[in-house]
Amino acid sequence: MNDYKSCFDPEQFQTNVNRRTFLGRAAYGLGGLALAWMLNPPKLLANATIPASGPWRGVVNPTHFPVRARRVIHLCMAGGPSHLESFDHKPKLEALNGKPFPDSFTKGQQLAQLQNTKLIALGPFCQFRRWGKSGQEISALFPNIGGIADDICIVRSMHTEQINHDPAHAFMNTGTRIKGRPSMGSWWLYGLGADTQDLPGFVVLTSKGQSGVQPVSARQWSSGFLPSRFDGIAFQSKGDAVHYVGNPAGVCQSTQRQVVEEIKRLNGMLADERIDPAIETRISQYEMAFRMQTSVPELTDFAKEPQHILDLYGVKHPGDGSFASNCLMARRLAERGVRFIQLYHRAWDHHNDIDRDMPVAAKDVDQASAALIQDLKQRGMLDDTLVIWGGEFGRTPMGQGSGRDHHILAFSVWMAGGGSKGGTTWGNTDELGYHYLADGQDMDVHDLHATMLYLCGIDHTRLTFHTQGRDFRLTDVAGRVIHGIVA
Amino acid sequence: MLQFRPAPALVGWLADTGVFALLLTTALAVTERPAGPQPRLRFNRDIRPILSENCFLCHGPDKNNRKAKLRLDVREVALERKAFVPGHPERSELIRRIYTTNVDDVMPRPESHRHLTAEQKQTLKDWIAAGAQYEPHWAYIQPTRPPIPPVKDRKWVRDPIDAFVLNRLEARGIAPSPEADPRTLLRRLSLDLTGLPPTVQETEAFVRHPGGHAYEREVDRLLRSPHFGERMAVPWLDLVRFADTVGYHGDQNINVFPYRDYVIHAFNRNEPFSQFTVDQLAGDLLPHPTTEQVVATGFNRLNMVTREGGAQPKEYLAKYAADRVRTVSTTWLGSTMACCECHDHKFDPFSTKDFYSLEAFFADIKEWGVYQDYGYTPNPDLKGWSNDHPFPPEIVVDSPYLHHRRARFQKQIDDLMLSASAALRGHGPQRDAFRSWSDSSAEFLRRWPSGWATPAPIVTLQNKDTNKPVAGDFVVEADGRVVLTGAGADRTRLTLKPPTGWLAAIRLELLPDARHHNRILRGKGQSTYVTLSAGLQPADGAKEKPIGFYFADADQKDERYSNGYAILGVTDAWKTSRQNLDRPQTAVWLLDPPVRVKPGDVLAVALGRSDAGCVRISVSPFGAEHPLDCGGGKLLRPTLAKSPTLLSPGERQRMDTTYLLSTAWNRDAFDRYKELDAQERECRGGKSPTVVTVAWKPRVIRILPRGNWQINTGEIVPPAVPHFLPQIPDPDGHRLTRLDLAHWLVARDNPLTARTIMNRLWKEYFGAGICATVEDLGSQGDWPSHPELLDWLAVEFMDSDWNIKHMVKLMVMSSTYRQSSNPRPELREIDPANRLLACQSPRRLEAEFVRDNALFIAGLLNPAIGGPSVFPYQPAGYYANLQFPDRDYSPDLDDQQYRRGVYIHWQRTFLQPMLANFDAPSREECVAARNVSNTPQQALTLLNDPTFVEASRVFAARVLAAKCKSDAARLNLVYEKALDRPVQPKERTSLEQFLTWQREHYQAHPEEAKQLMHDGLAPEPKHADEPELAAWTQVCRVVLNLHEAITRY
Repeated sequence: MNDYKSCFDPEQFQTNVNRRTFLGRAAYGLGGLALAWMLNPPKLLANATIPASGPWRGVVNPTHFPVRARRVIHLCMAGGPSHLESFDHKPKLEALNGKPFPDSFTKGQQLAQLQNTKLIALGPFCQFRRWGKSGQEISALFPNIGGIADDICIVRSMHTEQINHDPAHAFMNTGTRIKGRPSMGSWWLYGLGADTQDLPGFVVLTSKGQSGVQPVSARQWSSGFLPSRFDGIAFQSKGDAVHYVGNPAGVCQSTQRQVVEEIKRLNGMLADERIDPAIETRISQYEMAFRMQTSVPELTDFAKEPQHILDLYGVKHPGDGSFASNCLMARRLAERGVRFIQLYHRAWDHHNDIDRDMPVAAKDVDQASAALIQDLKQRGMLDDTLVIWGGEFGRTPMGQGSGRDHHILAFSVWMAGGGSKGGTTWGNTDELGYHYLADGQDMDVHDLHATMLYLCGIDHTRLTFHTQGRDFRLTDVAGRVIHGIVA
Repeated sequence: MLQFRPAPALVGWLADTGVFALLLTTALAVTERPAGPQPRLRFNRDIRPILSENCFLCHGPDKNNRKAKLRLDVREVALERKAFVPGHPERSELIRRIYTTNVDDVMPRPESHRHLTAEQKQTLKDWIAAGAQYEPHWAYIQPTRPPIPPVKDRKWVRDPIDAFVLNRLEARGIAPSPEADPRTLLRRLSLDLTGLPPTVQETEAFVRHPGGHAYEREVDRLLRSPHFGERMAVPWLDLVRFADTVGYHGDQNINVFPYRDYVIHAFNRNEPFSQFTVDQLAGDLLPHPTTEQVVATGFNRLNMVTREGGAQPKEYLAKYAADRVRTVSTTWLGSTMACCECHDHKFDPFSTKDFYSLEAFFADIKEWGVYQDYGYTPNPDLKGWSNDHPFPPEIVVDSPYLHHRRARFQKQIDDLMLSASAALRGHGPQRDAFRSWSDSSAEFLRRWPSGWATPAPIVTLQNKDTNKPVAGDFVVEADGRVVLTGAGADRTRLTLKPPTGWLAAIRLELLPDARHHNRILRGKGQSTYVTLSAGLQPADGAKEKPIGFYFADADQKDERYSNGYAILGVTDAWKTSRQNLDRPQTAVWLLDPPVRVKPGDVLAVALGRSDAGCVRISVSPFGAEHPLDCGGGKLLRPTLAKSPTLLSPGERQRMDTTYLLSTAWNRDAFDRYKELDAQERECRGGKSPTVVTVAWKPRVIRILPRGNWQINTGEIVPPAVPHFLPQIPDPDGHRLTRLDLAHWLVARDNPLTARTIMNRLWKEYFGAGICATVEDLGSQGDWPSHPELLDWLAVEFMDSDWNIKHMVKLMVMSSTYRQSSNPRPELREIDPANRLLACQSPRRLEAEFVRDNALFIAGLLNPAIGGPSVFPYQPAGYYANLQFPDRDYSPDLDDQQYRRGVYIHWQRTFLQPMLANFDAPSREECVAARNVSNTPQQALTLLNDPTFVEASRVFAARVLAAKCKSDAARLNLVYEKALDRPVQPKERTSLEQFLTWQREHYQAHPEEAKQLMHDGLAPEPKHADEPELAAWTQVCRVVLNLHEAITRY
């Protein structure tokens, strides 16, 4: 059925490619394949160098830089908290309240729900004050975070590329809008391994506020193209914290132990007959699974937490899936050697009634966020634990009725510990809080990743994984370490 | 325009297989060149490997590592840097450097530990002498059928595949592995072709007579099995990213299972892959497409979509379009085009323009960027759409599975009626009661011939919170009509005195009225929600008893949806039809159970707030299967008039059914009837909506600079295939269509499709593709281990008219396939990845088959084919992070629980944990090869997931029910069933000890044994010795957890 008028000429094609190569457009000619194979053995072989089980010390070993942070706790304020009512005080916006938003700011910009509407400035509904010795400006909605102002570094010049929740979370986690890429926590595990063999190295906890709630997908903690041993494990708020970690009814721990031992013994007999590393791995995974069956209940048992600690965090019912309970869990995970801990609090999508709903969301997280920092500090863990607090984007200085729409050109995050510079405010936005200022202190998501990696001893340009024909990084082809926020 | 010339040299290459073998013997250090004329050298085959191995490290594409600015992978650069002079090896620097003895000059550099053999040096010399021609990448050259290479051990060669494989092995001096033992072989074959293991009987029969044509008979049997299509569907569904939900944001359900049925069916009936391709991409564009061909176009609708508020339609349309290009290029072309969304490909000749030109083929698909109508992104096409609505366009199709299931429930209903009604035929009080009911029914029908009575109502308007009366205008007419003339109230309460006797149905009519411009609604509305509740106030003044309803339906209604599904009936609310507002609309509620009205009892009916303009309530003593058949005067009257002995079976059953549903005289039967009726109704008449492709005016597709959808100035591109591949003839200059694209994909001169498909098919049976990177045959992909074999398969595939089963059979019939998978220590160093195929490769089962296998072994598997997705057990609260709408998860509580894994509901954002733990992809993106991991989560799943615990205890009960003389014999049976082999003595010894411990434990703790019996739906066997069953359950758990149980060897 060769009924096509074809124009394929192999030699001409080669010439064209070569010409392009000559012009410096394509880095590699057609001969690249064999070479690529030599330099980067096929994926099958490349991944085979990462054992499926057993201790994993990371590909970055030793680290590229001195290690300031041994672990990361990311408090993800899902939904996108308003920077204008938290960490970015804009008196001029207040003055402009109710008036048309200047066209000069917004022309040609991407909007979400404010598309095709008249843009009106909405001033902040709450007061700001200066806190601590450092005198950082923080809104009255966050008095406890105000109380730790000298420990935190506020970045007001954050910006991102994705304006809807789902892709924006993906961008914050993976540095790209393209699906199938590994999340931060997976990169951390791949790069550094974990200090625990009894728990997953990358744990995710979710909690939900009373309004402004948006869904969040399991893809946010996926290992993407990295081996699945680097997947984040989401702890469940109901039932077993980890899926299938509880024994079946009628099987006590000692009989379960016998079952696991018998499986290992019989698998061992198979391993004697067949040289197959997969069997050895299977055997060790049953060992690990059984350890998790022991360690997870121990981890989730808050009985030994004294009342004053529960009070510090504001935990009413330990293990109730609240943000406060999750913060306490985050500390327990950190103590046990988990490398990357991510807490999603779904509560910040305030398209309307922001003055009513944001204070509620703030109240739900303020005390526990601050308590986590204080608790880590009093245990001497803050020095080597990097805590990041922030959303996937910010909110418009223009009102959306009584609320604010999604905004990608400016938002605030803060970080504490792990070598970050406490008591500092970094970066600026314009007078209306609309656009970050490109004054050298601006920080995009790649910069944030590069800086986080730096604090953990990793050069972000050297943490790579080869797949789909090239080396991939968390920071893609961008990212700058922002030394100004490093202590 | 350039003209296509079939590369003549290629023909020479493929003819010269003897030389090919020679080339592969480099490891054997041939020192003497064979006599005779030298075959023509080919760059890809002869030269590139030498350069690649020895030179490219410093003189290849990696600019960071490049020395002397010389690269030998690009001819122009090599010439520019004067590496060689074509035709003149004696003047070529390259030749001088490889022959020199000067240690400062010699190449490769001594410290690189690389070394050219004399033969390799000569080859390079000959190549330069012949003009130093380069070749384009292998995958872009149209494959031609290579001759079958010669081999020494001809007995081993069963089909051409073996010749290609053995030829290479012999060249390396490696013998193939012996054939696997019959047990392993049949288990392998069965798992590979159907995803299910053989039964013990099948294994025994084959083991007894494995010779002659026995193996081929097994192959043919399995290829004919309806489970073949299910097994083949799994990787295909990964590629086309088939899922039950839309993936973005709220991740709502999408109606699409008929597409999966189509795929399974297409594989089963061995649809030529070319037709399979055309139907999916462009079935709607065919002249007079069949329904199935339209269902197949669901393919174009499998990309993730959104209905998130604030999402920009244009941005999402760009995402959908790019997703399609990635899917088509990976699935058919084995090419990674993703990067071309933003820039020209770094390694392959695909350009950004190619990317967007390919997008343009799909620009005619009727779709919306955001599947909702928001104020800020108006979408008049979807006005009134909610998060619960489906994702149009859809068509409604017949589902054989649902028809079958429906018939089954109908049969169960018939059986139920037969057995329940037997009592009515005897001589007893029940017959008397039935007769008395018949008499009073006849009496009722004489008075109210339609079967409906309309007592005069007393009307009050109420506040719903205080129950207090509120003011409002209405008029009650003599015929029972209530005309609501005022603003209406929270609640309109009608009290009336029904005829004494049974009350089985309540009817609400909305009637047009002159006071409402002869419409059924007040005001200007087009539709209203009507809710109805009722209670019976006893004459003795006792408290009002609420009346329950089990189902209601209306003769006319607007659809309401719950997460994509049309809600059946109007039981909780009736959304009136916006059609025929000037004609009556009627709904009927069936009582659960019917009540007996005594003299003086008052029925109170409350209607919630609505725009109804004129309502009338009637009551009937007659229930019916379908609410609108209630009353049923026309049918019942003649029947009641007949002598019971003269009734036809149909009339008798109608009578019996009416009696049961009107009186619930047998409460158990009534409840069971309701249950079956609800299940039957859930089959939706055997029909289902499914998303399809509908073409409309193509959108304008522009190149998006750097992939930025906001830039509106890029070049407009019409549909076109990648510029460097054979082009689609376009004599009349019409705009190319999806149909053109589909035909082009499976055209004879497309160099990529057949190779891509065969390469992936190979992976299913040999563990890895011939080109190991099955998703990328491009220049960054893996070098094929057997390029000629891949070409041979590709050509055979096309020559066989894209016959999948033919190709599968060729592969599994080969000696190569039948080899033992026992690893060979001597090959670990030489060929760690088994690229030479000197043995089979063990493979862990895919997630779905891990589950199927356990259910099959336990005897729990429901082997039904096709149908809607199913809901296995899942940890509670797993969907807590899902919203719009909020999601609940109800596992199937009937035989659907035991369907095969391919049918599991695929929630993209929260994939069923068992599937996820065993590496099933979320199907957000096209996936050509799944990860294969080995994690503690897998261990936890097999140990503790109720599916596997239940399978273990049901398996144990089966084993205990078998006649066995001893524990040893029983343990052997466990192994035969689970692993298709006898238990070995040391395994048996170990398990006997384990069994003893478990017995002791459960005899000492019978309460634990009892608990263990209740994981899962399956009932505990009657009169079970619980501790014994628990002990054996533990044994079965162990065996189902073994590595061997989830591995195909």
